[in-house]
Amino acid sequence: METKTKDYVSYKDALEAFSRAHEEPKWMLQLRLDALEKIEDLDLPVIERLRYNRWPLFQVPDLTGAPAAKSIDPFEFIEDKAEAARVIQTGNDTVIETLPDSLREKGVIFTDMHTALKEHPELVKEAYMSKAVKPDANKIAAFHAAFMNSGLFLYVPKNVEIEEPLEAVFIQNSLVEDAFIKHVLIYADTNSNFNYVEKFLTKGDEKNAANIVVEVITKAGAQVKFSAVDQLGLNSTVYFNRKGYTHRDSTIDWAIGVMNSGNVVCDFDVDLVGEGSSSDLKAVGISSGRQTQVIDSNVINYGNHTEGNIFQHGVIMDRATLTFNGIGHIIKGAKGADAQQESRVLMLSDKARGDANPILLIDENEVTAGHAASVGRVDPEEMYYLMSRGIEKTEAERLVIRGFLGKVISAIPLKSVRDELVHTIERKLTSR
Amino acid sequence: MAVLEIKNLHVSIEDKQILKGVNLKMQTGEIHAIMGPNGTGKSTLSAAIMGHPSYEVTEGEILLDGENVLEMETDERARAGLFLAVQYPSEIAGITNAEFMRAAINSRRDEDDKMNVMDFIRKMDEKMDVLDMPEEMAERYLNEGFSGGEKKRNEILQLLMIEPTFAILDEIDSGLDIDALQVVSKGVNAMRGEGFGSLIITHYQRLLNYITPDIVHIMMDGRVVKTGGAELAKQLEAEGYKGLMDELGLDFELVED
Repeated sequence: METKTKDYVSYKDALEAFSRAHEEPKWMLQLRLDALEKIEDLDLPVIERLRYNRWPLFQVPDLTGAPAAKSIDPFEFIEDKAEAARVIQTGNDTVIETLPDSLREKGVIFTDMHTALKEHPELVKEAYMSKAVKPDANKIAAFHAAFMNSGLFLYVPKNVEIEEPLEAVFIQNSLVEDAFIKHVLIYADTNSNFNYVEKFLTKGDEKNAANIVVEVITKAGAQVKFSAVDQLGLNSTVYFNRKGYTHRDSTIDWAIGVMNSGNVVCDFDVDLVGEGSSSDLKAVGISSGRQTQVIDSNVINYGNHTEGNIFQHGVIMDRATLTFNGIGHIIKGAKGADAQQESRVLMLSDKARGDANPILLIDENEVTAGHAASVGRVDPEEMYYLMSRGIEKTEAERLVIRGFLGKVISAIPLKSVRDELVHTIERKLTSR
Repeated sequence: MAVLEIKNLHVSIEDKQILKGVNLKMQTGEIHAIMGPNGTGKSTLSAAIMGHPSYEVTEGEILLDGENVLEMETDERARAGLFLAVQYPSEIAGITNAEFMRAAINSRRDEDDKMNVMDFIRKMDEKMDVLDMPEEMAERYLNEGFSGGEKKRNEILQLLMIEPTFAILDEIDSGLDIDALQVVSKGVNAMRGEGFGSLIITHYQRLLNYITPDIVHIMMDGRVVKTGGAELAKQLEAEGYKGLMDELGLDFELVED
């Protein structure tokens, strides 16, 4: 399939047909067409310390609706858990969708985006690209808004508390050539409280672009614990935008493992809008081979007494690059706001490139803020201590790395997520 | 019977000479104590035996059953039977105590003979019991947030788990209250026997009330200046280092605490 980099408006008819085939509401088509017209004129988002204007991110997806020529067996990647609340998607298809009756009866919606647009168009409209990520924010957002071809909608009604995590697994189908333009919309209504876990994977080696937007909107008092393990493939060029938008006294806590194999920009943002709302953003990253991963975490305090925390640790091997930008921004008028961040990078190779870049922008006086950043090598004292107990150098190094990333991982509340991250790190480290 | 022999050992750190010809020989079945004022090189000796990267051996030999220890990496020394318990061990978050100790034990075993989890847990429970350590210490991160006393108990726990041939305890008694001191001593005494030798480095005679040494060495200014039996520690307690210096006709500045 042809992947043009301009003349996007020529896709207008194809998009209309796509929208019609999926019985999308009118507003959705309008949002797509408005965005389509803007792609050309908008700029790429500015990511500090990264030039990526030549990255092949603007691959137009197949809009014909024809099934993919090769399909994926999801059980290659997941276990069979009939009881859990789960949505599993391979490529653009939803292959498993389970929601316990107890949650359905409470009004929880956990379904693929096209179904949600058909069955709950007004609810989707309230939150979809209207608060967190705006379609005209930048070129990538506009491209996403126009060409989004699959996704997930999660709505948790007022006062509903869910103990067991809701789980989503997205397997990019790179057995075929097609763009992966996925949208996850999480809408937490007033005083709801739940855990959500997502995984992104790739099957196949085709060179594909992924343009993924995850929005989390929390209404007053809602508490969302969001966890993710990203493992997209070597030949996937990815722009990941996860963005939160908090109303009064609500909280979004993020725990994200950035463990992709290809070139990836992660734009993790939170707009702390409502008074007293807060967000804790924890990320661990591993870069290896020749890949570049940039994690741009951006927490903006708009509301009074908002609290933003960025805590990210990463490890770099081989000739890879890993950059952490931590941006804490306190807007004028956000009295009593707090912005903290810590970014640390551990380099395991002389040819690795690492960067930890703290940026604090403070436009208000009555606030607290702090940052710590470092780029370093394995501590020889720690190595010596482990080796003095008989542990071989390579094994000691592996333990030190796990320990370094463990500082972030141990602060993640959900044990299953901690285990998953440790397991993934272990696999990444032993495969080198 | 195993023998650890230190011959004419000279050690520098950042070009400053600390050890100026240490001679010492010990064998399994024996407990040796090294006493001496601050700054005389006691800890340098232990670090040099274990192969700390900051310490440079400029002259002399360390032999374990005739094998040249100085040619071995730190991990090889440990697997050859040496163990060093330190006062300030590294804190490593993200690795649990149990995981770490299992890795240490398994590093001594063949690929097809790794210790199974049940045996390991049983052994760890048993040894933690000896040291009055609460069960949850096994699942805490390695030394992270441990108090001084907990760290030292944890060092002794490793000693009991790993069961080395020779254990060097470097000022493991510093800062311990009597209860903790008794517990730590109980751990070391539990190891006492034909197949085990220990070199206890201490600043104070106090510890030696609980672990009676077979041989006591006094170290000053980078050398062993006197060797004797358990009574030497008592004499030192009574007369102080100054008295010993006068007796030996030594003359240099003592570093105060």
